[in-house]
Amino acid sequence: MKIGPLNIPIKEDFSLKSILDFERTPINMVLAVSVLAMLAMLLLGVGNYLIHSHHAYNVTREHPWGLMIAVYIFFVVSSTGFCIVGSLGDVFGFKDFTMISKRAIFGSIVTIMAGFTVIAFEIGHPVTMLIYNVLTPGLTSAIWWMGTLYGLYLTFMIIEFYFLLNNDMKKAKIFGLTGLLVGLAAHSNLGSVFGFLNARTISQGVYYPTYFILTAFITGIFLSFIVMGFRYKLNFDDKTKKLLEGLAKIQGLLISILIFFMTWKLLTDMYGGMPNRAEVAHHIIHSTPFYAEVILAMIIPLLVILKDFGRSPVLMFWASLSGMVGIFFMRYNLVHDTQVKPLQMMKHREYQLPPEWIHYFPSATEIMISLGGLGLCIALYYVGTKAFNLDEEH
Amino acid sequence: MQVEMSRRRFLQGGVAMSVVGGTTFSATNLFASHEESHGSVPTTITTKTSTGKAEEVPVLCGMCVNKCAAFARVEEGVITKLNPNPYFPKSRNMLCPRGNAGIQTTYDPDRLKYPMIRIGERGDGKYKRVSWDEAYDAIVNGTDKFKGLKQILDEEKDNRATIGYANGEGLSKEGFEVLIGQKMGTPNYVDEVSICLETAGGGFFSTIGTYPEIDFEHADYQIIAGANRAEAIITPDTMDMFKYTKGRGLKTICIDPRFTNTAAKSDKWLPINPGTDLAFVLALTWVVFKENLQNEEFMKKHGVGYEEYKQHILSHKYTPEWAEPICGIKAKEIYTIAREFMDAESPIYYPGRRSVFSPNDYQLRRAMAIFQALSGNMDKKGGYIFGNRGLLPAEYVKQPIYQNTKERFDTEGIAFPTLKSGSWIVFRNMVLEGKNPYPVRAMLMRKHNPMMSVPNTTKTRAFLEKMDLNVVIDILPTDTAMLADVILPEASYLERMSPVKSYGFLEPSVVMRQAAIEPLFETRTPEVIFKELGEKLSKPLFEVSKKHDVALQELIKEKGEKVAFEEGGYNLAEPFEKPIEERNEEIISEVFGEKAWEIIKEKGVYYPHMEEYHKQLSPNDFQYYPKNKRKYTSRGDSLKIVCKNDSLTSGGIDAMPTWDDAWKFSVPKGEFRLITGRHAQFTQSGTQNNMMLRDLIPTNFVWINQREADKMGIEFGEKVEIKSDIGAIVLKAYPTEKIAPNQIFLLHGFGSESNGMEFAYGNGGNDATIIKDDIEPMYGAAVMHSTNCKIRKV
Amino acid sequence: MARYGMALDYKNCINCKACEVACKEENGVELGAEKHRIWVGANNPEGQWPLLDIASVAFQPSQCQHCEDAPCQEVCPTNATYYDENHVVRVDSDKCILCSYCMNACPYDARYVDDRTMTVDKCTFCSDTRLARGETTTACQNTCPTKVRTFGDLDDPNSEISELLRTRDHFSLKAHLGTNPKLFYLT
Repeated sequence: MKIGPLNIPIKEDFSLKSILDFERTPINMVLAVSVLAMLAMLLLGVGNYLIHSHHAYNVTREHPWGLMIAVYIFFVVSSTGFCIVGSLGDVFGFKDFTMISKRAIFGSIVTIMAGFTVIAFEIGHPVTMLIYNVLTPGLTSAIWWMGTLYGLYLTFMIIEFYFLLNNDMKKAKIFGLTGLLVGLAAHSNLGSVFGFLNARTISQGVYYPTYFILTAFITGIFLSFIVMGFRYKLNFDDKTKKLLEGLAKIQGLLISILIFFMTWKLLTDMYGGMPNRAEVAHHIIHSTPFYAEVILAMIIPLLVILKDFGRSPVLMFWASLSGMVGIFFMRYNLVHDTQVKPLQMMKHREYQLPPEWIHYFPSATEIMISLGGLGLCIALYYVGTKAFNLDEEH
Repeated sequence: MQVEMSRRRFLQGGVAMSVVGGTTFSATNLFASHEESHGSVPTTITTKTSTGKAEEVPVLCGMCVNKCAAFARVEEGVITKLNPNPYFPKSRNMLCPRGNAGIQTTYDPDRLKYPMIRIGERGDGKYKRVSWDEAYDAIVNGTDKFKGLKQILDEEKDNRATIGYANGEGLSKEGFEVLIGQKMGTPNYVDEVSICLETAGGGFFSTIGTYPEIDFEHADYQIIAGANRAEAIITPDTMDMFKYTKGRGLKTICIDPRFTNTAAKSDKWLPINPGTDLAFVLALTWVVFKENLQNEEFMKKHGVGYEEYKQHILSHKYTPEWAEPICGIKAKEIYTIAREFMDAESPIYYPGRRSVFSPNDYQLRRAMAIFQALSGNMDKKGGYIFGNRGLLPAEYVKQPIYQNTKERFDTEGIAFPTLKSGSWIVFRNMVLEGKNPYPVRAMLMRKHNPMMSVPNTTKTRAFLEKMDLNVVIDILPTDTAMLADVILPEASYLERMSPVKSYGFLEPSVVMRQAAIEPLFETRTPEVIFKELGEKLSKPLFEVSKKHDVALQELIKEKGEKVAFEEGGYNLAEPFEKPIEERNEEIISEVFGEKAWEIIKEKGVYYPHMEEYHKQLSPNDFQYYPKNKRKYTSRGDSLKIVCKNDSLTSGGIDAMPTWDDAWKFSVPKGEFRLITGRHAQFTQSGTQNNMMLRDLIPTNFVWINQREADKMGIEFGEKVEIKSDIGAIVLKAYPTEKIAPNQIFLLHGFGSESNGMEFAYGNGGNDATIIKDDIEPMYGAAVMHSTNCKIRKV
Repeated sequence: MARYGMALDYKNCINCKACEVACKEENGVELGAEKHRIWVGANNPEGQWPLLDIASVAFQPSQCQHCEDAPCQEVCPTNATYYDENHVVRVDSDKCILCSYCMNACPYDARYVDDRTMTVDKCTFCSDTRLARGETTTACQNTCPTKVRTFGDLDDPNSEISELLRTRDHFSLKAHLGTNPKLFYLT
């Protein structure tokens, strides 16, 4: 279709009918119903938020960042991951990976839009943000840089996708490269949101701004397995198998590096009993979500990869699903663990217990909007597969 | 608790007792009524102060007994802030948390807004809104539900003593006493002193002639026993004391069963068994006499019965070793403290003023005063200060004589009953037990909440239910108001001008409270109520006297009715005829001159030479009187320390403080001794519905020793039942090491059963329900720390 | 233009919470136990009855420290948090987007959310109330029974606060974080 000078290639049969036209297998039906349910939850949650504003959430003075921040991070990490995977082919020219570029770039657009949707309901005044981020920007603020760069990044991704759709590889490469660099910068800035928190010693420092890129890549690869699994209905042809084997081997390396980094982080946190660091690290490794993160995102995928050095893509698909759940826990743990230690340990009132660990569990509205974001992401991706040809053009 | 009151909720008033008659409960109606009364009500509970035009009205805080001076900032008819008034020496330019929260008391949505009379059965909460005239008429003539004063007095043949009255501390207290006590002529008066500081005050009065002030600025050693100045704020003691503790010049030894905030601010804390302070003081005294550390010259000059007292102490062998098992303080500590005390340049045994611990309180305070005297640190810099008397003369009231009025009867078990305010517990209990020689048939209660303040609530309820007429004048629908037949709503302290009051001691002054806003809703100021009540009662009650009082009949024969009425003082409204502002102006101008009236109107405070003496020394400190103008010494040679008072023996009281083993502290195994005390954010039951203060203390928890709680499996916040011989309450538990394993503590003033008060209703537990109504033998004051309780999880 | 700070003679503090109430009344802060701009922190004594450690109990009044290098100001994406002309850290509620970054960045737990505007709020040294009217004390200083606080201009060598800081030992909270707080606790 044409919009002014722009020519956007859409599949000819794209219509409401084609969206509703899918194979009615049990899995597909379950997925379809789930996505519809999640979209309904999104509406419900947003409705509740519009009525009650932030009172609908369980965030408190001591724990102002909740589930929705974690979900936002989850989505933008996925987006950056998709971008990295996508750029392997069309920016860096690795032939084995070009077949996934278009799909990955589209995935990065869809996930970041879902992320922005979720965060729009977490930020108290999104319109104010749009105005004053431009008028009176806080240039020392990691959130400002992250927000601005992600905005730019989305723009570049859309432009790159446009060129990919039109098969203009040269221009796609330019915007792909800039998009990748901006995306990596944005993502590091997201990590530095935590890294700059001098008051929160468990998160402060170089770790989060840097390891975020690593986890982005890992997430991107997990997601690539998932989208390719759905595309080929777990029945991969040789070319795809080669792609996936390559990705799996990279993944194995990356997860190993991740485990290495995490181990040292925890060890240096706990060593010597540094106040505010050691006891928090201790608290973390005694909490269940930490083990969810480690086992689901790292151990299981690594074991599957090591099983026969990445040659079982079907198993990898399932491991990637587990991996994504683990990645979600990784994001949630990041947000929660940063805030889990109270900033001041004195009682404010006589009749209360001295502050210990901050407790938080998301409210129903937060869960609904978060799941709704996921539903939105899947729905948008699905519509995209119907609207655009995401396979490699020959 | 998240509280955000919408305007509509506020205006609905929340008086959940069902009120019928005349008006429906809609917002517009209430809006109409408070527009009439000129006051506007803020739309939010805290109002931000603005930089615009504002009035600064000098007021005196009414949230507790201290009467700190403040300036009320009034913007567009709404009080937005209460700021400290730097001119009043006693309050030292400060306002405590309750003082600041006075705004929430005045704008309390649950306030009584209009007069009400009972139309249901007593205690069921069914009232009808009436006009003031109808309410007064109900008091005089009664209704079909209750009798009026006229009928009651007629039936009792003008024995005025059939009317009892109760009054709470405040600047208008005296006015009510004049109206009901002196003018209406009943002697049966109960107020807060017999459930509070009567005994402590009496002990000091009868030993050194007055209750002293303390010069903390120059003192260097202090024993503060059973007084919690960090949480039971008394001005100026609280403000002065804590600037010098903790190694900054005033070494402070805190003696208290509980680790209070005062203990936290002291240099040393020694827990003592409740009610055994006397043994401690006697032991200290013994050490001083044994080692001859006392100021012999001072005692020889000023002591009365000094030698006998010395002999008495030494011969009784009140050694620290004897005292240790009784009071729980090690003998070594007692020796050290006694020696340090006498060695110090200006030591203080802090007098303390509070309700009674145990039956030996009178003797305890006597022993404390004598011990202080042994150091010679009295009537001088750094010691007990007697200072000046008040600056204002007493007022004369023409008091009628009611021939048929009988005497007070509440004397059972009391050695020296006080004529004026008797003993609440004995008065009530004798009526309940039928031991009163004549019927007591009415209770007129103002600013008093006996249902929560007098031990043994069950008996208080029975007592009030026995009355033919209960009238309550108050600002909130308290538990006592729920047993009233006629409720008269008073204006809160920020809505009225009060009689001027004078304060003596080291830096005397006169203070005056003015109205920051007009009375809200249909409330009226106390002085107006007294006048109107006096007017409505005068003639009808005069008729009753005419009928039964032979002396009056003769006076009428002699002088004619009109003259007899006026000259005899039978016009009950007479002392209140002049508006309060006029009366105040008269008094001030008469004593100090016109200029003084101008000053006190502008600044709320006056004392001679104020303009010359009062200076700001720094952002936080003011000078009220230069040091050379402060009277540190005022008694001089006339100071007497009464060590031995033989006249006490006629009432069965020891002439000299003597220990009796009946006062030993013991708690049956598995039980806990209940002790009482204060937090700085609450004033007894008066603040229980205050929205601001409730954020600070949401409910009263019961303090239980952590190890005991662990043994019983009780955790923080779990509900426990506290049961004594007379009642039980359920509270949340607060396990802490700040209390002994065999004692418990809970804050007074919670557990209201009046659903008229939204926040107070059903919140926490009422300690008066479980505290036994024991009395001490001297004045019959209520003993608060003699109750043992059982605890169990619920 | 001044550089405002506050000295606290915290040993005078009796934990009465008059300052908390005065702050709420003066600045129209909403009710609610968590909605406080200033507070007095306390802790339970160590030890077991009867041997309790008096020195282990501290009453520590605290609030926004109006840091010279305020982390909240650094992290605010819209510059809603700014230094006013007296170097008091302020929040422009028109610009605040409630991203809550400042709430996490502040080491002193000084910030909370004002439910009525849904923006972040904190102690303002009474800048838009008392100081705007020309008064020289904050509500918390003025009301304190034991006169713990002294507010004043650190740049004025003749001010009371400057004299106090010159003559008495003092410390600041979490000084190792480099925020340079302008609240000084006198020892």
